[in-house]
Amino acid sequence: MKKLPKQLISLKVNGYEYEVAVRPNRTLLEVLREDLRLTGTKEGCDDGSCGTCTVLLEGVPLRACLCLAVAVQGKEVTTIEGLAEGDQLHPIQRAFVDHGAIQCGYCSPGMILTAKALLDTTPAPTEQDIKLAISGNFCRCTGYNKIVRAIKIASQNAAGGK
Amino acid sequence: MENLLYVGKSVPRKDGPLKATGRAQYTVDLSLPGMLVGKVLRSPYPHARILSIDTSKANKLPGVKAVVTAADSLQIKHGFVETPRYPADQYPLAVDTVRHVGEDVAGVAAIDEDTAEEALSLIKVEYEPLPAVFDPEEAMKPEAPEIHPNHPKANEPYRNIGGKTETGWGDLEKAFNESYLIREDKYTCQMRAHGYLEPQATVAHFDYSGKLNVWTSSMGVFIKRAKLAKTLGLPYGQVRVLKTYVGGAFGGKIDLFHHEYISALLSMKCHLPVKIVYSREEVFKAARHGQPLIVQIKTGVAKDGAILGQEIRTINDSGAYHGSGVVVIFLAWGFAMAPYRVPNMKYEGYSIYTNNLVRAPQRGHGAPKMRFAAESQFDMIAEELGIDPIEFRLRNARKPGELLPNGDSVKNFGLIECITRVDHRTDFKNKYATAIRERETDSKIKRGIGIGTTAYFGGSLIYPNSSSVIVKLNDDASVSLMTGALDVGQGCETVLCQIAAEELAVPVEEVQVYAADTETTPVDIGSWISGLTYVTGNATKKAAAQAMKKLLVIAAEELKADVKDLATHHKEIFVNHSPDRRISYAQAIAASIAKNRGDSVIGEGHFRTMKDEPTHPSLATAKGRWTENYSSYATVAEVEVDTETGLVKILKATTAHDCGFPLNPTLVEGQIDGQVSMGQGHMLTEALRVEKGCVINPSFLEYKMPCALDMVETDYIDVITEKYQKDRHYNTKEVGEGYVSGTVAAVANAVYNATGVRLKQTPFSPDRVLDGLEQTAKRKEG
Repeated sequence: MKKLPKQLISLKVNGYEYEVAVRPNRTLLEVLREDLRLTGTKEGCDDGSCGTCTVLLEGVPLRACLCLAVAVQGKEVTTIEGLAEGDQLHPIQRAFVDHGAIQCGYCSPGMILTAKALLDTTPAPTEQDIKLAISGNFCRCTGYNKIVRAIKIASQNAAGGK
Repeated sequence: MENLLYVGKSVPRKDGPLKATGRAQYTVDLSLPGMLVGKVLRSPYPHARILSIDTSKANKLPGVKAVVTAADSLQIKHGFVETPRYPADQYPLAVDTVRHVGEDVAGVAAIDEDTAEEALSLIKVEYEPLPAVFDPEEAMKPEAPEIHPNHPKANEPYRNIGGKTETGWGDLEKAFNESYLIREDKYTCQMRAHGYLEPQATVAHFDYSGKLNVWTSSMGVFIKRAKLAKTLGLPYGQVRVLKTYVGGAFGGKIDLFHHEYISALLSMKCHLPVKIVYSREEVFKAARHGQPLIVQIKTGVAKDGAILGQEIRTINDSGAYHGSGVVVIFLAWGFAMAPYRVPNMKYEGYSIYTNNLVRAPQRGHGAPKMRFAAESQFDMIAEELGIDPIEFRLRNARKPGELLPNGDSVKNFGLIECITRVDHRTDFKNKYATAIRERETDSKIKRGIGIGTTAYFGGSLIYPNSSSVIVKLNDDASVSLMTGALDVGQGCETVLCQIAAEELAVPVEEVQVYAADTETTPVDIGSWISGLTYVTGNATKKAAAQAMKKLLVIAAEELKADVKDLATHHKEIFVNHSPDRRISYAQAIAASIAKNRGDSVIGEGHFRTMKDEPTHPSLATAKGRWTENYSSYATVAEVEVDTETGLVKILKATTAHDCGFPLNPTLVEGQIDGQVSMGQGHMLTEALRVEKGCVINPSFLEYKMPCALDMVETDYIDVITEKYQKDRHYNTKEVGEGYVSGTVAAVANAVYNATGVRLKQTPFSPDRVLDGLEQTAKRKEG
């Protein structure tokens, strides 16, 4: 099998600029995990159905397994590694930890980023808003109840200035 | 309950921040210098003789570092169960014959994925296809092709019997003769995927010191070490299995998986780390799935609803090898007899070889199928007798202290209280009657309510049988807890820390866990037979208590006081009624080191369930003790059925659960929520479709698991039957898997309550519901 020649591209991830040489058929997920070693973004299905690999592209949730790395040059990518500031968890992360929304944790990075995109645009979501927003992110452990509740609490904390 | 600081509290999980930030390292995230990509060549045939394998071209491909087939292996068989009756029946790399699609034939390790894929395509395997059989009842017929011709026959006269459990008690004939009503029904359940989000993954590195290091997504490191050591012909001391975070398991990551063996064998050939990660399609098409089960059940009752006798026959399609098939037919008996009194019983369970995929345990391991059958039939019997479903169950439910036919006691069994409280909380009887009245209205949407119950075992004797724990105090009186337990997401590390913190009266944040390394942590029972909180928890309690005792003894010496007069507060030990006489934990540790020839205060604890039993019960006869702790649950499901589309929606599930006492209420609720969701998938949408042994819906797009929009509202009722006490071991019961069955059974009965349609096959897909509605309407007209 003939390999396609590599291209030098520039990726903006979590505020940093990375220069990487990638083949044009490689997905953003592969480049994040293998080249940049940002393994917080997980792979669950490789066909876009599970939501585990969700990252934010200019603040909008994106399945990194369905997107080619060369296609996001110059755009701001946020992965789970870009959320906490040092040891200081992002309020959504805090709510997930404190309210039992994490079990095996494999869906958590994608779920938390999806929740962030929701709260950034809809600061006071209804339960139905939350369910709809995360309906493309599978979780096999929690039955979603505690995840929905954690997102609700995070939104209330933000409204209360906590 | 005593005044407890940490046990019984919803302490946030210790690994939460690591997981929330993406810093937790799963097997799929591991990368080692020089690591190769491993791939497996699988059989395209359900049953075939291997005539030849030619790997010469693959070996010559640049970038390929190792190729293995059975010829490179020791050809040692293994099995989920290995007993004289059920000897190991599966080679980790196929020898001469393949018996299911996807069976492992060869492995390659190469510098990158493309090279590994190309190498697979260069391996030439010549097969001679053999006749195959896929339906277990067909496979039992005398003319069926024989899948293991040289295997010891578990029992005649049927063909392809992989295993048989046969047991009974009382006089069933007499019981049926005296019965006022006898019902006989047949129920079947589908094959389901576990749906863990992290695929099967292993990194193996056989280093130059001759040690095999293995990181694998699993449910217990000690069982993996034992199976790898056996099949690779290595001593235990040369195999080290280490912790990684596990992205879900649900029963599907126990036993030896062949990619684990193959990655190890490849690494032994080239001394480089080899990583094998399944694609999702590979998980669906080649990994082990849950157990489909056929349950035939005949029950005789007196006029007042008392169960007089039951005759049960189960047929399990075990796939091409034993897997856990010989276990599920034993367990199904247990789930039939544990919750309710059955004074006379005949039970026969068959595990049948077919040319399907091999099966693994799956959350509940037989219980959802058995309870679906029994509880559906309970409601049918109750209706015929004119008794309501709650009363029928209360009449037959086991009471605290009852002895089971195998000698177990149900001890402080809470089933009756569970049923009573869930009945009251949900206003069951009123809603049940209303739903029946409203079946006749014009509304296309029907509502219904139903109940399902379960009892489940909490730990049994199977290797490694027991757990040991070491608790080490550090100079600053922080605590290190060494346990072989592997957290699969249920939160066992957090619970063990809570116990150590409780015993030592130190903040739970100061207890650090070092877990799941076969080399540096002591043996552990594992996260797979619902006994970890009981067995490893009690070992932790003993270890921490021993360390505390040492600390108090040295403190008493220093303070010139008696141990019984000492109390602790904020990591200080003081003399009761004379609080000026005090010493910090750190000072006591320093004193111990100075005066006790360097004893830095280490505690060890060991615990084994059923200490007087030599081994697990007989899988053939069900004789022998099974477990010390029976949990119980009663679940009420409320559903809505759209009679135009056949779509069933679960609105709410209320569970009364007796898990002894919740050590961490939030974690307990998390287990229940997860099981409601799994029960929902079982009942409504999940089914692996298989044609000629090949899974034809191998993706999440075609295998529908519940998503957030399907979320079921849940409510919980704690039925507390045990307690945590100082100076003695505690009893606790499982809460991780029994409850799936409650949901499954409750939904089946609720759908009937709503519509009058009794379905005996899961899932209750729209076409089955519509078909049921049509047939019910015809019966009424006829």
